[in-house]
Amino acid sequence: MHANILQGTLDLMILRTLATMGPQHAYGIANRLQQVSEDALNLNQGTIYPALVRLEQHGWTRASWGKTENNREAKYYAITKAGLKALDGETARWRQMSGMVEKLLAEE
Amino acid sequence: MSRSRRILSKFRDLFRNNRAEEELAREVASHLTLLADDFECRGMSPEEARLAAKRAYGGEEQAKQAHRDERSLLWIEQTVQDLRYALRMLAKSPGFAAVAILTLGLGIGANTAIFSVIDAVMFRSLPAEDPQRLVIFGWNAHHQPKLRGHSLHGDCDDNDDTRDCAFSVPFYETLRSRTNLFSGVTAFAGPFEVGFSGNGPANIARGEYVSGDFFSTVGAKTILGRPLGRADDAPAASPAIVLDYRYWQRAFGADPAAVGRAVRLNNVDAAIVGVAEPGFTSLTPGKSQDFFMPLSLAKRVQNERWGTEYSLSDPAIWWVVLAGRLQPGVSVEQAQAEATTLFHAEVLDAAKPIFSDGDQPVLRLLPAREALNGESSQIAAMLEVIMTAVGFVLLIACANVAGLILARSANRQKELAMRQALGAGRARIARQLLTESLVLATTGGALGILVAVWGVRALTKLISSGLDQAFPFVIAPDWRVLAFTGGVTLATGILCGLAPSFRSARADLTPSLRENVSSIPGGASQGGRRVRLGDALVVAQVALSVVVLVGAGLLVRTLHKLQTLDPGFDTHNVLLFGIHPSLAGYTDHQTVQLYRQLQERFEALPGVVSASYSEDALLSQSWSAEDVHLDDAPPKSNANTATLQVGLDFFRTMRIPVLAGRVFTPADFASAEATNAAMTVAEAAAASGNPAKAAHPKTEPQPASVPVLVNQAFARKYFPNQNPVGRHMGNKQEDEPATGPQPGYLIVGIAADTKYARLRRAILPTMFLPLVGNSAHFELRTAGDPTALVKQVRDIVAQADNNVPLFDVRTQTQQIEQTLYQERLMSRLSSFFAILALILACIGLYGLLSYEVARRTRELGIRTALGAQRRELMRLVVRRGLLLALAGAIIGIATAMAVTRLMAAMLYSVRPYDPATFAGVGILLVLVALAACSIPARRAMRIDPMVALRYE
Repeated sequence: MHANILQGTLDLMILRTLATMGPQHAYGIANRLQQVSEDALNLNQGTIYPALVRLEQHGWTRASWGKTENNREAKYYAITKAGLKALDGETARWRQMSGMVEKLLAEE
Repeated sequence: MSRSRRILSKFRDLFRNNRAEEELAREVASHLTLLADDFECRGMSPEEARLAAKRAYGGEEQAKQAHRDERSLLWIEQTVQDLRYALRMLAKSPGFAAVAILTLGLGIGANTAIFSVIDAVMFRSLPAEDPQRLVIFGWNAHHQPKLRGHSLHGDCDDNDDTRDCAFSVPFYETLRSRTNLFSGVTAFAGPFEVGFSGNGPANIARGEYVSGDFFSTVGAKTILGRPLGRADDAPAASPAIVLDYRYWQRAFGADPAAVGRAVRLNNVDAAIVGVAEPGFTSLTPGKSQDFFMPLSLAKRVQNERWGTEYSLSDPAIWWVVLAGRLQPGVSVEQAQAEATTLFHAEVLDAAKPIFSDGDQPVLRLLPAREALNGESSQIAAMLEVIMTAVGFVLLIACANVAGLILARSANRQKELAMRQALGAGRARIARQLLTESLVLATTGGALGILVAVWGVRALTKLISSGLDQAFPFVIAPDWRVLAFTGGVTLATGILCGLAPSFRSARADLTPSLRENVSSIPGGASQGGRRVRLGDALVVAQVALSVVVLVGAGLLVRTLHKLQTLDPGFDTHNVLLFGIHPSLAGYTDHQTVQLYRQLQERFEALPGVVSASYSEDALLSQSWSAEDVHLDDAPPKSNANTATLQVGLDFFRTMRIPVLAGRVFTPADFASAEATNAAMTVAEAAAASGNPAKAAHPKTEPQPASVPVLVNQAFARKYFPNQNPVGRHMGNKQEDEPATGPQPGYLIVGIAADTKYARLRRAILPTMFLPLVGNSAHFELRTAGDPTALVKQVRDIVAQADNNVPLFDVRTQTQQIEQTLYQERLMSRLSSFFAILALILACIGLYGLLSYEVARRTRELGIRTALGAQRRELMRLVVRRGLLLALAGAIIGIATAMAVTRLMAAMLYSVRPYDPATFAGVGILLVLVALAACSIPARRAMRIDPMVALRYE
């Protein structure tokens, strides 16, 4: 699996990351995704930018500048209320979808 | 909320692109730093770490570009998605979409068309330069002025005798020479019919007399040659004329060589010196002329109306309209004060005052556009009625669109609730609904433009089809109006489109989500309110359409009454045409000879039953009147009567019964001619100031009394319970003792009552005199189709004298149709709008019921399953539809009763609350409402309980 992941899936993963970990910068998000996927999702970190823009434009995330522990400046993304709601919806949809695909693939 | 926020942020990006770029660069830099920090922690050198970070990050520029693309392109993509979704939703209910688009298109288009016409006719701007500075002189007084001549040509409001805008030429000269508050003052009058030869066969053209400074004062220009100037108006100037643009196109084929050609106006040679610019028609809206000629020609180009001899010099002949252009910096009040002084000097202090002091004559200066209302003041009332009808149609269209969209969105409550539950923000749903409304609106608007363009063309054709002359108004679709009507209708659509999103914000989501709520009547309180709003809209639509229908019905009935009215003579198979021998230089005697000769030749034509002529054709809207003095009446109290000069055989030809006495004989004509000649001589002597002859009328032999026939109305009014045949009547008695001979009239017979000038007018006391001069209209009673004889008739006239032009060839039936032009137009236009209103209201009713049936499918299915008769279900739906229609009808009829009183003046022998019309409208409405209900009712009847129960 490369950068060729389904559009929307990346959005869902980012929302989920922000919901569980709290506000994160782009690097933090990318790291988390890599970690969770046990390095299977070996994407260039720059590729998550469009998804970040999309989420922000939807009003699902809100961005602000802050400092890291090492006192480096970074742009932090936080999930909004609407984002949490959207996450619920998207999660339900994803479950439905993946369940369906799973069933389909199981039928040999 | 997300969509609008995205749009917002998108717009922010448009304006703050630099900042977004900066921020992006900063973020990427920070990202790289964080990555590098990490690599350093894992033991790399700073340089290695930096490179590793770059590798891990991937293409820096690529990431930035993706960011940018996402920022700008995504929202466009989303709009396309919204649009596609909207189209899919509309395609799902094609009936709804078609009806809504059609309603919008008709509402926008029909209104734009009619408003464009009204704008052109009523609010048209003057074709003059800087029209605000152009004023028209008007006068009013307590009593009628004592004038020797007074004529008006429909330039301004002249409904009574104590105010209008006609003045004498000497007063114009005074104004021009004695004031300097005006940069120009001009006099004009007409148009007058003039024999126009030198361009093909002799014909009649309509010339407007204008003073030399007309073109400069008004600011009118020529596209060819030159305008008329002061020099052309000098008494000794060689006659010059300027052609009207439309006449130049029509009669000269737009030939530029027309300028410089010589033509003959009656008996005067004149040169064409120019062609007016196309934009200049007439200062008075609705009027037109064929050419302009200098005022000074009035003396030479005889228009044998009255006193042409003195019309330029007599201060008591008022016949020209005066327009002045104010000097810069001069106020209307200033100019009015100065002009009033001059006016009073002329009418009160002259040797022979025209007004006495008690008359309090007032001179007023009015803005040209306000004063010169001409034709438009007659059409205005009519257009106001139409405008009201159109306004109602617009309201109905709005109510219709509102009702449709509300009903539909009510149906979609569940879908919307679902979407909201899935996390869609209110604004996002609103945007989706808005997209749908906009798709409807733009499609409807586009259709509206088509309807408007077509409608303006159709209306112009409709209005001008009954006119005897070219349509005098220039009409084009008015884009401002289109924007207005479009805006109103679209705003309604969009507001209603958004309504469900407001509702869903307030409402609790759960009941909407529960499957069966929408199926149980009254199950949801919000449903109740919603349906009631839809009901109210339908009732309002029906009520409005009833008002429009009643109005149209009254107008249609008026037209029908007028068309079937018996005017007192046989209107079928009569050919009419005018002839004007004096324009070709005939004397009265020669004229009579010519008429007699033509009459004989016409009667010899196969197919002609009889032929006659009269001063005016009957029902041609023109008429004359005179005062006579009844012999046993007190001195100076005159009786007013309409008069019509007729030829031999007039009563037989028109089939007007003569009830007592006899018709005219050739001897009557000889005697009347002799009397007329004697009177003319005496008048000329008195006017030339030869007192010797005028002072001793008694020494002259008194000419014979003029033999006359009177109509029944005359006999009833002036000779009640007496036999008027054989009685004598005197000439009109005035304040000053009469000077010339006073032959009076001798009644020789009584003719049956007939309508004279207009069908609408009550029959006036009328006196018929032998025609001994003047222009005339011939009447040929034919055995078959009168129009088949036109060519032979033309040949006969040309044989008699090639210089005498024929004009206004038409049949009596056509003549009547022409006089009913306005009524016909009104009834057609109002019927059109009434039917449109009815259709829209029925669409509304149909839409509401269809929605109801769809909404209650489950309930109806259960009822069927429980054994309800199908007919009962049908009755359920129809009863509801009829109840709504009846409620609307009752409100509409009550409103109509209040409204139709305002149009009483337009009706003829139909009362504003005509029971037949009201009943007819009621029945029509019920029938159409039944038809509108029947489709949804049948659908309710066919509901299969099994399908219905599975339905949701």
